[in-house]
Amino acid sequence: MNRDLVFGAVCLALAAGYYLMAAAIPESALSDAVGPQGLPKTYAVVLGALSLVLIFRSWNPRFSVSAHRVPIMRVAGMIVIGAVYLAVVPWTGYMLALAGLIAATTYYQGGGLNGRVALVALSGAVFFWILFVAVLGIPHPPGIWPSLF
Amino acid sequence: MLLLLTSIVPAACAGVAWGILGGALPGISPSITMALLLPLTYTLEPTVAIVMLASTYVGAEYGGSIPAILIRTPGTNAAAATVTDGYAMKLQGRAGEALGISLYSGFVGGLFGLGVLVLLAERLSTVALAFTPQAYFALGVLGLSVIASLSRESLVKGLMAGVLGLMISTVGTDPVTGLTRFTFDSPDLLSGIAPILVMVGLFAIGELLAQTGEPGWQAVEERARIRFPGPAMWKRIALPQLIGSIIGTFEGVMPGGGGAVSSFLAYNEARRWSRHKEEFGHGSPEGIAAPEAANNTVACAALIPLLSLGIPSSNSAAVLLGGFLMHGLLPGPMLFVQDTNVVTGLFAGLLAANIAMVIIGYLIMGPCIWLVSRPKPYLMAFIYALVVSGVYAIETSEFQVGLALGFGVVGYAMRYFAVPLLPMVLGVVLGFMVESNYRRALVLSSGDHMTFVQDRISAILLTVAFVFMLGSLVRHLRRSEL
Repeated sequence: MNRDLVFGAVCLALAAGYYLMAAAIPESALSDAVGPQGLPKTYAVVLGALSLVLIFRSWNPRFSVSAHRVPIMRVAGMIVIGAVYLAVVPWTGYMLALAGLIAATTYYQGGGLNGRVALVALSGAVFFWILFVAVLGIPHPPGIWPSLF
Repeated sequence: MLLLLTSIVPAACAGVAWGILGGALPGISPSITMALLLPLTYTLEPTVAIVMLASTYVGAEYGGSIPAILIRTPGTNAAAATVTDGYAMKLQGRAGEALGISLYSGFVGGLFGLGVLVLLAERLSTVALAFTPQAYFALGVLGLSVIASLSRESLVKGLMAGVLGLMISTVGTDPVTGLTRFTFDSPDLLSGIAPILVMVGLFAIGELLAQTGEPGWQAVEERARIRFPGPAMWKRIALPQLIGSIIGTFEGVMPGGGGAVSSFLAYNEARRWSRHKEEFGHGSPEGIAAPEAANNTVACAALIPLLSLGIPSSNSAAVLLGGFLMHGLLPGPMLFVQDTNVVTGLFAGLLAANIAMVIIGYLIMGPCIWLVSRPKPYLMAFIYALVVSGVYAIETSEFQVGLALGFGVVGYAMRYFAVPLLPMVLGVVLGFMVESNYRRALVLSSGDHMTFVQDRISAILLTVAFVFMLGSLVRHLRRSEL
């Protein structure tokens, strides 16, 4: 399996799905000659055609680019850390959630899990709170704490 | 004058400092440094925000040379040409001198680029008042034609990335009928996907993911202090600086040129014209002066097509375009008519940034060395924290943070599949302009497509776009790199 073949196949599927969604856009009485479906359908057709070119080209050994192993679990782990942050921030509040994100990322990147990491994570969260909330005046989720006190 | 002193100069200084620190971190390119700053500028006055972002670009181009000279690891792609002679000078105990030449040459190149920018940008935009929807559509097509030259390795993949970007731009409310498209009934998508989310995702989060599992970089073991060149050295490096500045100007204006290409070209030309050819590769001051002047010239020259035509010629210019859009400003012909204060402020800010770079570059050396020596896991964690905090700050929306994370995955996948990122960004930022003006023009002409040929400016721009795409296609076919 080579990379161009995979990318071409994914884009071909995407083009097909996008075309079907574009075709489902309702007509409007205000519609112009092109309409809201016009360009999206064209984009889908062009992407589909380019995907086919890439797929056919990938069979040529001269263009073949072999897939190599990627640290997919490591990369997925980083996204999971971000997703968990998003899930907990409304409850724990910005500062605590951010401290968790910093600590988890540091640990995940091989920085260990010890008192120093915890201290850096807490200091970092305080620093970002001061920067965004206190200095720039941008509200971040306070969490459940205000309702408790 | 008051705004200049109280806001623009501090913004330029802050941007330069941020840029130097970001540029000094290996793997963090100028565009990523700018993308990280982008959300933080949301609450600032537009001119101040734009000056800060443009100054970051200026600072980052110099910052990249610091680890290139000290630890043989270029902080930015553009600094790769500085590694050879910079590190050789460091081994000879001349690290301070090398850093001084780099900083001084960056200053000279930056001023040269700014001069060209001021001279050319406004002249190119004088056709502004004659622009019709047809001409704006053609301008968008010309911008998209840049994709062909940005797709160095594979034209097909570059075009696919561009079309994917155009598809992303169709999400939200239809520009003519007001119908919603591709929103999946989510109110968060009604106003479309902001280009800034795509840029932060593709550039910053994508790079963060790509760096996962990569080994850390070498720590700086010694304290270096900048030594500025004296008059004899000024004389010796004047010609390579001029060569670098001229090459940087051309490469900055050319789509896909950028700092890296200009640095290597400038290095080669400086060696060709040098009286001390034998020193190149063994610690030649000219081998630092030429590429550093070139990449700092690019930081200003790249703004010429952006400001005058609204076309970003590099990743960093695309992020700056995102900054303009975020503040409701549309770079292009009308910018010089409707927002003259922004343009004047930007020019003044860039002058301040180039001067500030010399002072801040000298003062910030210690913090830079400290930062580069931090363990990579901590740096990655802080960058991640900055990204999620910054993206949330744009519209205080957790949905947008999730969206940026999603584009981060897309950015990582594109790196893996060797698909260029900039075509997708171009598609996203130009998609709305292309579609809305295409359809408006057809409404005005009762559906007659000949209107795009009958409008003189539109016809010229479309011809240039066609020639441009044809040229790129021929070049790709010759190299058999479709």
